Order: sequence, then C-alpha cells, then structure tokens
Amino acid sequence: MDKSRQSLPLAGLKVIEVAQGVAGPHCGRILAAMGADVVKIEPPSGDWSRSIGPFLGEDENIESSATYQYNNSGKKSVLLDLSVPKGISTFTVLVSEADILIEDWDMSSRALNGIEKDRFTKLNSSLIEISLTPFGLSGPYSHFTSTPIIQLALGGYLYLTGLPGKEPLMLPGHQPDYLTGLNGNGAVQIALWERDQTGAGQFVEIAMMETLATLHQFTMEMETYEGFIRNRNGNLWQKESAFANYGITTIECVDGHICFGISTEDQWERLCMMIGKGEFLEDPQYATRSGRRSLATYLDSLLSEWVGERTRHEVMVEASEMWGLPTAPVLGISEVLEDAQFLHRGLFTEINHPISGKAHFPTFPFKTVDMIPDLSRAPLLGEHTSEVIHS
Amino acid sequence: MSAKRENAQGSLAGLRVLDLTRVWAGPLATRIYGDYGANIIKISDPRVPLINPNGLNSKLNRNKKNIGLRLDKTKGRNIFLELTSVSDIIIENFRPRVMRNLNITYETLARINPHIIMCSMPGFGLEGPYSEYPAFGTTAEALAGIPGLIGYDSSLPISTGVAYGDPVSGLNAVGILLTALRHRNITGTGQFIDIALAASPACNLGEFFAANSSNGYKPTINGNKSEHYSPHGAYKTRGEDQWISISITNGKSWKAFTEIIDNTILNAEDYCVFENRKQDEKLIDAHISDWFASKDAEEVMFQLQNRGISAGVVSNNRQLLSDPHLNERDFFVDMNEPLFGVKRYDGQSIRGNFKNKSDWETAEDVGESSKEILMELLGYTSDDCETLEKEGTVLFR
Repeated sequence: MDKSRQSLPLAGLKVIEVAQGVAGPHCGRILAAMGADVVKIEPPSGDWSRSIGPFLGEDENIESSATYQYNNSGKKSVLLDLSVPKGISTFTVLVSEADILIEDWDMSSRALNGIEKDRFTKLNSSLIEISLTPFGLSGPYSHFTSTPIIQLALGGYLYLTGLPGKEPLMLPGHQPDYLTGLNGNGAVQIALWERDQTGAGQFVEIAMMETLATLHQFTMEMETYEGFIRNRNGNLWQKESAFANYGITTIECVDGHICFGISTEDQWERLCMMIGKGEFLEDPQYATRSGRRSLATYLDSLLSEWVGERTRHEVMVEASEMWGLPTAPVLGISEVLEDAQFLHRGLFTEINHPISGKAHFPTFPFKTVDMIPDLSRAPLLGEHTSEVIHS
Repeated sequence: MSAKRENAQGSLAGLRVLDLTRVWAGPLATRIYGDYGANIIKISDPRVPLINPNGLNSKLNRNKKNIGLRLDKTKGRNIFLELTSVSDIIIENFRPRVMRNLNITYETLARINPHIIMCSMPGFGLEGPYSEYPAFGTTAEALAGIPGLIGYDSSLPISTGVAYGDPVSGLNAVGILLTALRHRNITGTGQFIDIALAASPACNLGEFFAANSSNGYKPTINGNKSEHYSPHGAYKTRGEDQWISISITNGKSWKAFTEIIDNTILNAEDYCVFENRKQDEKLIDAHISDWFASKDAEEVMFQLQNRGISAGVVSNNRQLLSDPHLNERDFFVDMNEPLFGVKRYDGQSIRGNFKNKSDWETAEDVGESSKEILMELLGYTSDDCETLEKEGTVLFR
C-alpha cells in the first residue's frame, strides 16, 4: 500500500462486502476510495452485475461490465461459495476480523441460507453491519422481488415523472440502488463516529423503498398540509398548492433543450425583464404563482421566442450572467463528459483495465483538499482469493 | 454491546453542526445528523420566516435549534465566529458570492478554529466557468445528463419530478463530512469541502459514462422499455391515474404471469424466450394493458408478487402515506406542530442508533433558541441579549 493511501481517513479499516449489484458495491466503492481495505466476496459465477450491460470495449463478458467496474473500483475480489459449509466457515472467519460488513440478504435469502439477523454482530461486537435490501427485513413487502422500476414505483418517485395522464417514467439506470448505496455510506460514517468513541458496533438496516420515501422535497406535505395529490407535470412544476409556480421549464434551442429553474420572486421579475415583458409585473394575471402557472403554455412560447436561434450555451451564459437566472443545458452522455465545468472540476478520471481497456469514470461530486480519493481499477473475478484466504 | 446506547441519545450525540443551509439539499443532510442526535444550530435570517403553512421547512428542520442572526452586521458576524470556535461542522448552500460578501470564508474560520470542517454546496462548484451561476435542483440534474435519459422517445427530454440534484447532494454531504471529521480526529486539522449540486447526479450514472467513453454506447430513449427485461413498464389499473409497474425478469416469471392472465395469444410457448417477447413487445403490451385496466393496483400487486413476479403499485403521495408496508414498519413519525397540529412525516431511512422518535422535536421558527444558544453556549447575559435584540442583530422568539 502506498503512502498516500495510508494517510486516507479510512485506512486500516477492514470491510467485507458480500452485497452484489449496485447499492452495496457503490457504498463499498466510496469506502475503498477513502482508504479502507475492501474485500469483495463473489460467488463462483461472479457478482450478478458482471453479467449486465452496458459493457466496455468490444466484448461482452464478466470482465467488461461497466456497472461492475464503476462500483467496484479499488477492491479485492475473493471467490467464495457460501452455499457450501467450507465457504461459510471461511466467510465467518473473515467477518469475525472485520470492522464493517456490507450485505444485501433479504428475508428470502436469509431464510434460504439460515442467516439470523444477529449472527455476525453477536460474533463480533465491534462490527458495523450494513444491511441494504429493497424493502427491509420486516413487513408485508419483505419477500417481494423487484427491479429499479418497482422500487421507484413503491418509493413514490415513478408517479412524479412524465407527462400528465401518460405513463409515469422511471429515472435512468439504477437510481434506487445508488441512493441506497449513498445512504449506506452515510450509515457507515455515523456508526464509525459512535464506534470510535465507545468501541461498539451496530446493525444498520436500510431499505431502498424507505430511502426513496425520505428523499421527497414536499410530496407528502402537499397531502398532509394542503390535501392535494402531487401530480407529474412533464417539464413544468405544480399546478395547485403552495408549490404552484412557473419558471421551471424546458425550452427547445437550435442544438437541443435548455432547462430553466426560476423559483423565487426576484427571479420571476428578472425573467419578465429579460423577455421584455416588464408590464407583467403590474398585471394581476401574473400576481400569483398559480396564476403564472396556469399561463405556462403562453409563457413558454414567449421564452421560446426570446431563445430564438441561440444555442444552449449562449442562452445559459446570457440568462446566468446578465439576468442571474438558473439555467442549464440538457446534456447527452457524451456532452456531460466534455462539459467545461465538469472538466474544470476533474469530475471524470480515466482508468485502465487489463481486459476491457481504458474508460472514463466519474470520481466524486465533492472536492477535498486534504484527502484525495484513491480510485483504481476493479478486480478480476477471484483475483485476490489466494492472497486474502491464505494470508 | 451495540444495544447499550441504542435509541438513547443517538450515535452522533456530542457533535455540533452550524447549519446555514436553505431549501432542500443542505437541510436534508443536517436532518439526518439531527435525527442521529447531533446538536444542530440552524442560523436563519431574522427577516425571513422559516415555518410556513406548506410544511416543507417543518419537515426538513426537525431536531434543530434555531438562532435568528444577521450575519451582515458586525456583531452578528462576531457571534457566528464565536459559534465557529465551539463547533465541528459548518455547512452552507448559498451562491458563492454570498459567503464572500459576508467575509465568512474557510480561511477566516480556520484561523479561529483549525479543527472546523466547512462544506459549501453551490450549484456548480466554487471554481470553474459556471461557478458564479445560480442553479436549482432541476437545472443541476439537466447538466448531469439525467433528463437526457428520460423520455417517451428522443424528441423531448423530461425532467424528474423531484429536483434530483438536491437529494443526491444531500446524501453525499452526510457521508463525506463525517469522513472528514474522522480525518480531523487522526490528523488534528479540519478542511474545506466543495460539493457541486450538478456533479452529484452524474455520479449515479457511472456505467453510462464509462461505456460511452469506451465504445460510444448510447442508450435508446424509449419510455420505460428495458434492454434486459420484457414486459417492463407501468400499466393503467382501475381508478383515476392508478398504475402498476411490472418487470418480467425471466422465462419463469413470464410463465407464472401468463398462468394468471390466461390469454391464448400470450400463452404461446415462443414467448418464454426474452428475445421473442421483446420483438412482439407492442402486441404483448396491448394484451396486458387490457387485462390490468379492470384490476385494483394493490390487489394485483400482491397476486403477482405471491407468484414471484416483480410488481409494485405506482404510489402517489396519498398512497405512500397509507402504504401497508411502511406503516407496519413504523416508518412514519407523527409530530405535534404548534401551529398546525399533528402532522405525519417520513421517518429515518437509516435504521441504526438514531435518537428515539418520541424525543424528536418539531422544527423551530427563526430565533426560538437564540437565547439558549447565546446564554448557555456562549455565556452572554440577558442584558447582552436585550441590546442585540434592540439593535436588530438577533431575533428572539
């Protein structure tokens, strides 16, 4: 281990990650980048995310999954068959010496493999065990099977995205997993804070459905405070309630779409000035937010006229610099990779892999000065089995 | 052993956080700390009320003490510096120029307290070509590539209904600030952390960027359709704007699904193969849409799940609040709001040693704890407080 890694804040911590897919591994990726020694336990067929697209390079195989490589950066891969007694006993030894265990055993797999909830925290009282499952370890959905669209649906996210009356739309990729992985990392850090003082570990249960249910700005409050169903509104904001507003909208430019995020009164005033409609500020039709929202189609057409033949970038620069209005281009994947702001931040880093070659991966949304995250390639299946098991 | 402190004070008891954040991303992060027993001092502008009849700030600011403080006045700024000297974390999400104008920069604060961890959460980050631009959760997600991947087809990108830049940034803040505290405990020095609202959602799309940079991969924008599963999407059920989502992940669950539907066309043996279902996706969708149209979403969800089929009600806010699973798990919390009566909120999704729910406190309005903070924490006298109130530096409620 090189010196800069040793100076990272989680250096010396042993993490056993038996979780597969995205949620648990994403949590483990953050811990590894901050210096922890993350040992990933994989079944003989490999983490299931090794088998899903998109893939890197030219071939589709278990060493070229983009999802696997992104979320398993900097870990050690140990092949261990937990369905045989020898595998379980080796695993138990590893966990008994670990600081953190990241697992995703739901009620069905716990029952199938006979794993009681307190099995490992009883064995190792300073262990922090993070349980990440779609629905948690109790309740009527705890035996449910799911994919991201089901998790988004039951967590209240799906209903809110899409055009009014039309099929609700999912967020791309594995968003419930990523949010739950981030929540898992928060849980690890909270539990470590307590353990660093008391020496005691803890069992922390996190459900994807509950993670999503806590990540709503005012969805439930529209019902509990005002009695409104919160609807989906395409690219516009609410029609009814205290949250009705105009100015969060998406307008077509010559080279794509630009998103406006006008939300405060002073921004509304500057929007009117920008599109040359200062008289709206005296007009009672526009006095209230719900009034403006009900005229959204007309206001969109005025904004569209103002945008005219400009590009997304030209609109962003003028609206932001001259008028102080929040805007941003709607970027495609390859455009995000080349965006000037993200390049300046160093948001992406190139990592080389012996089988699938070079690719650009996101680093982290935070910039730190005194602890630089260490990102290296993901392991090959079982690459570290003998190193970890026989040492 | 872990049961000893359980649900007494919470894992973060003893941690002090100065919270200058507004709207959503920042308050969400400090709410998690507050639920876990940290001492959150929320600093609010006395001229702007915090508690509104829309519930937003009440929901996000539980378990926090509030001081109403004018940071633009010399004495107010001095009080802030005194609070800095006794705190662990400072977190703010103004536009970059606001903190500069107030002359409250990390450099100034670190001179007073070298142990301090300070976090700024601007839209695009503190440096770079867009750093001075204002942002909103919805514009942040646009730059990150999220709506570019959502749509019924590629002609119109659709924003998430949830201003996605905010929640993702809030969760990132929770983890990284505590990591920085651990770093401080080891090295003895604090640090400054800059989280860009627009960068957070991009980090939840890692596989898309990696694949695009490697071989030019571009996903097809086609509603809820999936490259791995079919059928896959949301289908209308009985009732106004009621929907169920399903995801048929393999031949076995398709077989179980057709046994329930019992439709001669869908029963065809060929459809047990994903590629064949995918090819006839439109036809199959038409048949299952017809079948779902008369069903009750919740009933049919249990019926399908009992056969191992991935299915879930597309819950709106009302359904979320009455969801049988969340309620049986005691997820919600009912809090008696002084102005609005008993209100139900989402609880804590990180189920570890958080502060006992019965000890949770409702959100304070601006200045409710000004006196307590000034007198008990900083040693001000009641005469001092009176002067500060008269001068309009501090609001006492």
